[in-house]
Amino acid sequence: MIWNEHIECMDREQIEKLQSQRLCEMVERVYYNVPFYRKKMQVLGLEIGDIKGIEDLHKLPFTTKDDLRENYPFGMFAVPMSQVVRVHASSGTTGLPTVVGYTRNDLSNWSEIVARALYGAGVSKEDRIQNSYGYGLFTGGLGLHGGAEKVGATILPLSGGNTRKQIQSLVDFEPTAISCTPSYLLYLAETLKEEELLDKIKLRVAILGAEPWTENMRKEIEKQLNIKAIDIYGLSEIMGPGVSFECINQCGSHIAEDHFIPEIIDPKTLKPLPRGSEGELVFTTITKEALPLFRYRTKDLSSLIYETCECGRTSVRMTKITGRTDDMLIIRGVNVFPSQIESALLEIGETQPHYMIYVDRVNNLDTLEVWVEVDEKFFSDEIKQLEALTRKITKQIVNIIGISVKVKLVEPKTILRSEGKAKRVVDRRHI
Amino acid sequence: MLSQLSVFIENKKGNLVRVTQILKENDVDIRAIAVFDTPEFGILRLIVIDPQKGKEVLNEKGYSVRLGEVIGIELTDELGSLNTVLELLSDNDITINYIYSFVLRKEGLPVMVMNVNDMRSAKETLEKNGISLYK
Repeated sequence: MIWNEHIECMDREQIEKLQSQRLCEMVERVYYNVPFYRKKMQVLGLEIGDIKGIEDLHKLPFTTKDDLRENYPFGMFAVPMSQVVRVHASSGTTGLPTVVGYTRNDLSNWSEIVARALYGAGVSKEDRIQNSYGYGLFTGGLGLHGGAEKVGATILPLSGGNTRKQIQSLVDFEPTAISCTPSYLLYLAETLKEEELLDKIKLRVAILGAEPWTENMRKEIEKQLNIKAIDIYGLSEIMGPGVSFECINQCGSHIAEDHFIPEIIDPKTLKPLPRGSEGELVFTTITKEALPLFRYRTKDLSSLIYETCECGRTSVRMTKITGRTDDMLIIRGVNVFPSQIESALLEIGETQPHYMIYVDRVNNLDTLEVWVEVDEKFFSDEIKQLEALTRKITKQIVNIIGISVKVKLVEPKTILRSEGKAKRVVDRRHI
Repeated sequence: MLSQLSVFIENKKGNLVRVTQILKENDVDIRAIAVFDTPEFGILRLIVIDPQKGKEVLNEKGYSVRLGEVIGIELTDELGSLNTVLELLSDNDITINYIYSFVLRKEGLPVMVMNVNDMRSAKETLEKNGISLYK
């Protein structure tokens, strides 16, 4: 199902023409309305007329989360507050929240791109969708909500948390779709299994995002719930969920290119990388009115696929986020992503994906410890078998990340469950 | 054969008492207990009056529990009785995974609990040689 065939299946030449036109208009709007960018452009000796199309995109300055924080809360808005109809803020996992604003048109565009995502996942007005993203300053809840209303699906606005109610709704209201974080869905699946309610639910598809997750985690979710798990990507600075989405072919997320221009850059040199390379994902918003951003550095690592998808959409696809440049742990000089450890655990298959990573520094040496919960289905009566399991997990992780790790088996349900973004790392090094 | 509960516990202060407390609160009487530990975790093995109920109440509290079978041997109080049993097993190529003991309160006799690689043939061998098994 394609929501907006005209745009989503537009040929490359046409979409680039549209992007160029919108980019030029945006540069002019931003120059006159956002002092922060005007100053940056002046420093670079850049004039409005220097940007003639997307080929000039690389001339524009980058924007970072720190820029937004320095202009906290509304300093980078390009319209007067009287035109701002809503404000959201990032969850603030890494410091001060970043505040974003929307005009009426922005909200309408947002619903449009979420509607495309829902259609991409096969969710239409025939569906009931349990929206378990938090409603509030976080963009997840209201973002999904707007798109679901647009396609005419029946929304069950559960918001995040309150697992008891989530389970009750899944069983009694029989939603066919759910939207939440992948880690929370695994938690819900675990609860459903414990209470022997897995055969009482009607879920068919899950639209998951707001945290990086792996292909293995997808397999685990699909197996446990017998559903399709579809990725939705977004970040509040750019819009919120829906910046890109997977179609049912699950082969990369289609970017709403009529609203956002993606680039992949080398996070060190900041130079754009050739098509197909992996690097940091950067977005320029070309239709946003309240908070237009030049080349916003997402810190997410991905690569872009320009080939037409099997579903017929021509929009560029981004590959699954392999990590964030800022949750990357540097342990004894080696880059480690929590997602690598997760995929190692899931490959072993004997462990639940409930784990916690502890990084510490002892005698100037970084230590890496991974705590893994022991599930009853593989708990053995014999010490030597548990020790063998510990060794197996250790070996698997070492194979993937290349540095030594200490694996510790812990009692079930002792690692804190998260109802929002899962916290997987405790770094005690204070570097 | 005798039913035994094995519980995975972390080697931390208070973890053992939490298990015994749950059993006490649910009137599950403990006959014998043995802990086999490593620096970080341990396996707590228990012989209780109602193993099924014991497993259920511990599961409810989130513990990983295994209900397994072990052999209980009633030993006579005389020199070499344990040696006789072990020789019998060894001669029949049966290897012991672990072994622990407890004493019957009324009779005051020791009971050896053991887990071996081949439970059935161990049971047959012992019974054939007149060793009485505790049930």
